Amino acid sequence: MPLDQDTETDDATLLARYARGDASATRTLTLRLTPRVFGHAYRVLGDSAEAEDVAQDAMLRLWKIAPDWEADRAQVSTWLYRVTANLCTDRLRKRRGGPALDEIAEPADPAPGVETQMQSRARMDALTAALQSLPERQRQAVVLRHIEGLANPEIADILDVGVEAVESLTARGKRALKAALAPQKQALGISDDG
Amino acid sequence: MTADRHEMTDAALDDLFQDARAPQMPEGLMLRVLDAGFAAQPAPGATRAPLSRWRRLAAAMGGWQGMGGLVAATCAGFWIGVSPPQYLPDAALSLLGAGAGFETTDMTEVAAYGWVVDEGSDIDG
Repeated sequence: MPLDQDTETDDATLLARYARGDASATRTLTLRLTPRVFGHAYRVLGDSAEAEDVAQDAMLRLWKIAPDWEADRAQVSTWLYRVTANLCTDRLRKRRGGPALDEIAEPADPAPGVETQMQSRARMDALTAALQSLPERQRQAVVLRHIEGLANPEIADILDVGVEAVESLTARGKRALKAALAPQKQALGISDDG
Repeated sequence: MTADRHEMTDAALDDLFQDARAPQMPEGLMLRVLDAGFAAQPAPGATRAPLSRWRRLAAAMGGWQGMGGLVAATCAGFWIGVSPPQYLPDAALSLLGAGAGFETTDMTEVAAYGWVVDEGSDIDG
């Protein structure tokens, strides 16, 4: 079953219906937006439990603002990503540092049949750790652009910077990621042709 | 070249991004978000009553504190009008002009002074 069955209705309309007490709008918004919020928070924070807290907090703020939502405000998703980005920033300020690349376990001697699964897990762990090594703004921009798939103008709105700054952040972020991941290329099953 | 062998391509990085697009959701997160949504949801049919004209006016005046100050100042002004202190002039007489004690000025002097200054002549001869 697809998570969000009501793909026709836009977020703002659903939020207005939520504010009028429509229970189906609550379900649709939850199914549509929670994975995006959690995914963004997880990639930025690199910690599932913290990302879960952030996702719940961000969604709660959405529920609370619904009755006062103005149609001419920013897009709902843009507002929600901005809230999520700020919540992540708050958490990152509270803790300094993160898991270093060399803390990621090498995929050693996998048993036949689970090799692919382990390598996939190792690839994600390596990407998560490499993301954590980026400066926070670069990380937010790279996640929003390349994992969440947002357009640069929307990212600019979310991060409250210009579009050129977003382009610069994502370009530098990708370069840094490639440099961080290159030494593990063989171990992660990344071939030279991509 | 050795450097090339260690370099990561854009395509390889894009593959990693693609794999990362659907992170495993923690168990129960959706339900918790949904429960919070239902708990915070206004009841069907419940609409926020728009503020009345008086409430909007009170808000514009700074809320109940501002309105309290305005009412107190109005009452004080009314009472001073009804029963003025001895040392204040009688308001009614002042309005009617009795005993107002203002004298008309000889306007020709003022006008002449202005003309002389403006023209800058006839002062030194």
